Amino acid sequence: MTRVTRDATPADLPSVADVLVVGAGASGSVAAAELARKGFRVVCLEQGGWTLPESFTGDKPEWELTKQKDWHPNPNVRANPWDYPIDTSDSDVNPLMYNGVGGSTILYTSHWLRMPPSDFRVRTLDGVADDWPIAYDDLASYYDRMDHQIGTSGLDGDPAFPSRQPYPLPPLPIGKLGRRAATGMDRLGWHWWPGPTAIPSRAYGHRPACARFGTCATGCPQGAKASTDLTHWPNAFEAGAQLVTQARVKEVAVNAKGLATGVVYLDRDGVEHHQKASLVILAANGVGTPRLLLNSTSHRFPDGLANSSGLVGKRLMMHPFAAVTGTYDEDLESWLGPAGQAIMSMQYYETDVSRGFVRGAKWSVMPTGGPLGIRAGFSGRPVEEEWGPAFHQNVKANLGRSFEWGIIAEDLPDEANQVVLDPTLTDADGIPAPKIVYKSSDNTTKLIDWHVERVHQAHEAAGAIKTATTKLLRDCGWHLLGTARMGNDRSTSVVNQWCRAHDVPNLYVIDGSVFVTSSGLNPTATITAIALRCVDHLVAERRNQQVAP
Amino acid sequence: MTGRAEANNAAQPGATLSQTERQLYALLADLLIPNAEGMPAASEVDVPTRWIDEALRFRPDLAAPLKRALGLARGQQPADVLAWINGNDPEAFEALGTLTAGAYFLDPRTRTLVGYPGQVAVPIRDDIDTYLEMLASVAERGEIYRKTPN
Repeated sequence: MTRVTRDATPADLPSVADVLVVGAGASGSVAAAELARKGFRVVCLEQGGWTLPESFTGDKPEWELTKQKDWHPNPNVRANPWDYPIDTSDSDVNPLMYNGVGGSTILYTSHWLRMPPSDFRVRTLDGVADDWPIAYDDLASYYDRMDHQIGTSGLDGDPAFPSRQPYPLPPLPIGKLGRRAATGMDRLGWHWWPGPTAIPSRAYGHRPACARFGTCATGCPQGAKASTDLTHWPNAFEAGAQLVTQARVKEVAVNAKGLATGVVYLDRDGVEHHQKASLVILAANGVGTPRLLLNSTSHRFPDGLANSSGLVGKRLMMHPFAAVTGTYDEDLESWLGPAGQAIMSMQYYETDVSRGFVRGAKWSVMPTGGPLGIRAGFSGRPVEEEWGPAFHQNVKANLGRSFEWGIIAEDLPDEANQVVLDPTLTDADGIPAPKIVYKSSDNTTKLIDWHVERVHQAHEAAGAIKTATTKLLRDCGWHLLGTARMGNDRSTSVVNQWCRAHDVPNLYVIDGSVFVTSSGLNPTATITAIALRCVDHLVAERRNQQVAP
Repeated sequence: MTGRAEANNAAQPGATLSQTERQLYALLADLLIPNAEGMPAASEVDVPTRWIDEALRFRPDLAAPLKRALGLARGQQPADVLAWINGNDPEAFEALGTLTAGAYFLDPRTRTLVGYPGQVAVPIRDDIDTYLEMLASVAERGEIYRKTPN
């Protein structure tokens, strides 16, 4: 594995960049690499730094201790100096993320899935929420390109999705636990399929094959997992992109004509800079992007930038997540990776109104990890059930012999669920921090209740001797979506279908903020496909692109 | 402003326990993890004398709540002490439990006894042939995604 960490300093940067990208996570990395390859002078500002594979503890005895703090996905728990605080006192769910080069792909479990066609037509099909201004067919070729950029491992022919180009790599092993789960699904006649994953089953490019440490959610010590620090930044640097790390953007600057002129940011020493750019792309995730837009007020934009619709920060969706852990009577080696999804099911993904709710959920089989367990640090059970002789009994019963069916519930957009600026909380640089207001809906509650019952059936059919249910995990807000939605009508959306802000012609948003609805699937493949589509359009239309003089 | 600190995802110097605290901790550790079910007690695998220091090195954030737990334990009867700490300061009890369980499995002997190899590299072996027959019936049932107007 080749590690390329080539940081620029503010003094290295051009006086005016062609494109300035805020955030070096999934979408920002894809855009920076692609635009640099097309000859643009690209500057990317990332508030975090590099995270080297040797710093991950997944291959070390202390892994389960450190995963609850230093590698926790909740920035309020991790409290890394690169993180910003988030007020979650009015939220049912904690937003999760990683701030640094690679963004949350550093800690994601790499489920790499396409949204099926129905996800883009929720209003038409189910009479709720909204349709997207794009359809599955608009993204299909970009999904294909992303598969090759990141090296997706998967098995062709899944009848839950339209036909597609072959996966570049064969599937990862589903292991003993995947087979045990599949046996239950087979008995029930329910859909299952090996989970497509952004982890290479063979050496791919400069990355080695997966080593099955099973610690994907705390960083890949093998350097195999497709985090964009590994998959995109080496190519971006080679093409000439410049990256400044530990650069925290304070606001997007605009001129009197309402065009973006660049950004104001603080470098790692807290020194303020104004980096000019012809065009600004925001890729700071579904919390960071609205925070930045709301912090970018001016005489012309008193309510925040690109916010004439009033929808910046609103319609936040975070995918409430439920899980049912099953314990079995045989050794399933359930510490082996991949940690994300051995197999998945789309059996009950599509709407059936007879169930009493609309939309659905994807299920994934996940291993349970080491002796402290997948939910180490979240138990809260009575003392006598957890300690004394029970400690040994629990470890022996569960270690290697249990797995989890996880349920990702599609939550629908609701303007009351939102990212706002906290009136008092700030980050270490004094920049106003975000506050999350989020309540899970009745539809989601019914959906989760119904799916939990079906998942119990799946465990029973597979022969589980015991099950334990978590109906709404508070630390589950991995997927931060909807807070600057795309649409054709500027009064009801923030950006158009090409991710360009309706109000600011040279400002783009390309992260999960642009999602119209959340789907019930892990969104990173879609986020990056949308980013790639945006960049293609931007390049094709560059002569018509309005820029600040 | 003097500049931001580096990321904190590396082990920091750990807090240490005084002799008195360590003696009290040894008692609590064996109540949490006793000799039972064929497994050794915490003190039998050096948790109070060695591994707790390692655990604190990896989790210095838990030193203060651990010391609070030890403070609450002073003078309590062993039979009730864990429930007493948990009832009075759940955060301190959580720290006590997390550190003790984590320390226990830092010892290679306990990992061996429970049959856990730790996180080790295992080469990829395709296992498609072990499930293809089951999967064929999924494929034979046909497409299940919803037909959608473009």
